Amino acid sequence: MRFAALFGKEFRECLPWMLLAAIVLFAFGGFTLRMQAHDINPIREWSRGYSTPGTTMQASRLTFNSPLAVVGPWVFGSAIGLGLILGACQFWIPNFTRTWPFLLHRSVHRSTVLAAKLTAATVGLILAVGGIWVGLFWYACRPDVFGMPQPARIFIEGWIFITLGLVAYLGTAVSGLSEARWYTTKIFGIALAAIVIFVTAMQWSLVWALAVIAFSIALLLSQLFDTFATKEF
Amino acid sequence: MNDTVLQAKGLTKYYGNSPAVDHLDLEIPRGCICGFVGRNGAGKTTAIKLMLGLLEPTAGSSSLLGCDSSALTPAIRQRIGYVAEGHRLFRWMTIGGLERFQRAFFPKQWDDKLFGDMMEYFDLPKRKKIKHLSNGQRAQVSLALALAPNPELLIMDDPTLGLDAAIRRQFLEGMIELIMRQGRTILFSSHILGDVERVSDRIVVIDKGVLRANCSLEQFQRAIRKVVLGFSGDVPGQVDIEGLLHCKRGDKQLELTLVGADDEKVAAFAKSIRAETYNVVTMSLEDQFIEFTAPANHKRLFQWEER
Amino acid sequence: MELKNVSKYIAGPGRVFTTALIILIAVSVVQAFAMAAIETFVYAEHRTATKGKPPRTEEEKRIGRIRQASKQFLPDGTIHLVYEPRSKDGRIIEPRTEQIYDANDHLLWEGPKDQRPYEYLSWAEQLRRYTDAFDVMQIKQMQMLTPVFSRSIEVPIGSINNTEQIWRYRPGDECFEGYAVGGGRIGFIGAEGFVDSKSKVKPLGEFRFFTAWCPGDSSSPTLLWQTGRRVYQINFEKRQTELLFESADSDIETISLHAWRDLKPGTNDYIDSKKYRPLLVCITQDGVHHLILREPDQRLSVAGPRSSFTATRQAIFAYRSWADVFSVPSMAVSPQLYEEWLEQYYNKPQKKWMELYRVADDGAVQLLNRYDWTMPAPDRPLHMESLLATQRLVGHFSPLLYSLLFHALGTEFWSYVQQSTNRGSFFYAMLAFPMWLRSLNGLTNWAISALMMGFVFWHGLPRRTSRAQFAFWLVFVGLLNATGLLTYLALNHTAVIKCPACGRRRGLAQNDCIHCRAPLPTPKPRELDLVFKSCC
Repeated sequence: MRFAALFGKEFRECLPWMLLAAIVLFAFGGFTLRMQAHDINPIREWSRGYSTPGTTMQASRLTFNSPLAVVGPWVFGSAIGLGLILGACQFWIPNFTRTWPFLLHRSVHRSTVLAAKLTAATVGLILAVGGIWVGLFWYACRPDVFGMPQPARIFIEGWIFITLGLVAYLGTAVSGLSEARWYTTKIFGIALAAIVIFVTAMQWSLVWALAVIAFSIALLLSQLFDTFATKEF
Repeated sequence: MNDTVLQAKGLTKYYGNSPAVDHLDLEIPRGCICGFVGRNGAGKTTAIKLMLGLLEPTAGSSSLLGCDSSALTPAIRQRIGYVAEGHRLFRWMTIGGLERFQRAFFPKQWDDKLFGDMMEYFDLPKRKKIKHLSNGQRAQVSLALALAPNPELLIMDDPTLGLDAAIRRQFLEGMIELIMRQGRTILFSSHILGDVERVSDRIVVIDKGVLRANCSLEQFQRAIRKVVLGFSGDVPGQVDIEGLLHCKRGDKQLELTLVGADDEKVAAFAKSIRAETYNVVTMSLEDQFIEFTAPANHKRLFQWEER
Repeated sequence: MELKNVSKYIAGPGRVFTTALIILIAVSVVQAFAMAAIETFVYAEHRTATKGKPPRTEEEKRIGRIRQASKQFLPDGTIHLVYEPRSKDGRIIEPRTEQIYDANDHLLWEGPKDQRPYEYLSWAEQLRRYTDAFDVMQIKQMQMLTPVFSRSIEVPIGSINNTEQIWRYRPGDECFEGYAVGGGRIGFIGAEGFVDSKSKVKPLGEFRFFTAWCPGDSSSPTLLWQTGRRVYQINFEKRQTELLFESADSDIETISLHAWRDLKPGTNDYIDSKKYRPLLVCITQDGVHHLILREPDQRLSVAGPRSSFTATRQAIFAYRSWADVFSVPSMAVSPQLYEEWLEQYYNKPQKKWMELYRVADDGAVQLLNRYDWTMPAPDRPLHMESLLATQRLVGHFSPLLYSLLFHALGTEFWSYVQQSTNRGSFFYAMLAFPMWLRSLNGLTNWAISALMMGFVFWHGLPRRTSRAQFAFWLVFVGLLNATGLLTYLALNHTAVIKCPACGRRRGLAQNDCIHCRAPLPTPKPRELDLVFKSCC
């Protein structure tokens, strides 16, 4: 009941931002996808995969973006943007509103308060961005839309972007809880998240990308738990 | 049942290389209403946060209801009410939402009727958002949220800060309501000595992090006295009396602030320095507090030249 | 569950790791910028210094002509030097003209390029990345997790205005999956051709390279697909997979083509099929050249140094070119060897030669002609040395750990890292940082580390909470130099006070003074304090 109360409070507090992220992704991502489906400036032109008989062709002309490529930046941006905002809402803003003492003087362990925040943010990311992403991918896979299903790898990549949103959230949280000055180590949490996002974007292997993300999440979570347990409010 | 609900032993907190709280030793018994006073930056909020486990002490320890402050269990926290400085609540929540949130942590001890009565008394609709409340209204909600769980120990950090006289009175009446319940202990810090005088039976004075007074209100008020001695001739240069806190020389008069000096000693001293007149000045608690915590060579803030 | 107990032993090292990593990246970026800035400045100075050179002598012009001329062979083995004159600033003169010289530097012909009277042998060429061919590195780049998602290789079948089928490459399954546009799945194409279900498809093998062209009877592409040990030709329209070559013993390193693709006359890369036979050359890692010829079908293997091949209707030829300079060692891996190589390369004339061979049906080669020439010692470019000089300078603040790792793992390992970096691997590029930024002057590096350790000793002694932590930080700063010191300062900034008992500095992390064990100073009680322990 206590955890539910804490979770409910965190979730409702961040709900407007989650809804905003979902609306942005649905509106812009869905709109651009639909434009692709109706051949209004489509990103995929099959015509460049052909050439005059008896001629060579540039091999790279046979590489095509999925129509979901227009949605990719929206998923990426929504996930990371939402992660940053959730981290700021939960861990930076209370420093200014000074509501930490009220929140922490609860008949629960501090870890429960932190767990409620993490759970609310994770659920929010999954529902707001993940839910819309699933819908957009399902729509793109319909045969009457783009003629053929999309590669399953792209679905996984979308979820990797959402996981990067979680990394951004944890990095922002660690920075928010840090008592250091902003020009010293306070922003290191966000810096680590940025490094992880950059390194992940350089990966071509999904396994390595997930390994990098898992490692960074473990690193940030441990620091988050330790800082939250020992921080002075 | 242990009689001491709050205990601090050598409680120390350094910020940088200077102490905000310096070896604080304190014991507050059950059923006591303790006013915790000090000047700005004396260390009151720091001490309260140390006791509640929100800060880590540099040295020493404290305990609430027998439990170490650095490891307060959920069960112990459930028995402690806390009103933080500034009444910082979640601005986006409604009063009703906040009530439901708070109630979830006190399923068995929440007093619905008390909370409802208080909201009715303060004329606060539950659908109103916290951000739309004034400072005073927020204080009322804060107090109601702290009182409704029927806490054994209530700790309030400057609860009447920024409130007008009418709201302050209402607030104190709420406190008195709680006082009427047996076995409740209250520790509250305040700048308004009138409030302390009104409700407290014990006073704790902290100055630059150091404990200066920990006694009953009556003992404090009795101990600090101001005496004005009049002279026909020159005012004596040397003043040597036990318990002298401050000495102010005027034209043909000597104003002495004394601690713990009884009438006999004062009279004997007045006679020894050949004072012609001897008057005891009535002091309010605020006056006594100011004199008690003023530094030895304190200067006046405004020194107007005589025109 | 107590938070503190769970996270205490993980968070501390994690925090140190995170801080050190970010600071290391920042310090490395600063070092890299410093190197680039210094190196650019020195190189810029060198370039301005080289202006205003005196005009070239006849001999210098002759040597320049030989250096710039392409060496071409006639089918009878005669060698010509084909030189295209350029203007003073190195630009091609229009209209384009050629001068053809023989091996004795006699001018045989001069005139417009398209009126050349000789027909030289053309050779099988390795296909170029990004233009003709697509290799492993490009497929990895294509699969990178960019915000626009990864791309896929897809082959459309139909016509420009009406695509009927799409064949998509599945990297995990190493096969192609076909869809009818607007309809369902058609099937799969793998090593054994077309099948209708995934369970039956045979993987093509680990992808290495492909090229594409449109055959004479179709506007849909046919692919030449190379894997580790095999080369296929895949025609999606006909749903056929032809295995052209399979290496039994070692992986295929490169392939080159000549007259293999049925291209139209006048198009790029068209080779007259009346004069040349279709030829595919596969060089395996054991150094053997495997020739696959058609018209008629023929296979042969040629061992020996790296060669280029061609197959006319009359004979099969090979040519080899060489220079008497040993391969450049990696500057990053071994600066000493690299500097020795610089001395050799830039201080003596270089002998070069080319040889033309006829290849017999059994793979034996017979030398037909040889041309050799000597180039004078080239001008030594200053920027190569400046890079080493700047590395020496900025490397003083590099972690000692870099040098220790470098020597511990050996030059062979680092050479492999360098090669992997050259092939575009991001992971190895990151791993190569220690190689590039390590200190080349061990003594100075050690001395600076020792100074930093001294500072940490002075700073940390009054603050230490445990000997183990103190020792850890000393070693940490010693190994990581500037990065270590900055990390230490970022994570250890507890305040110190003067102990009233012994007068020495002491930290506040411990109750008692680490020198004299005196507790924290207590405030002096005033006589006038009103502290009573009476009840209410």
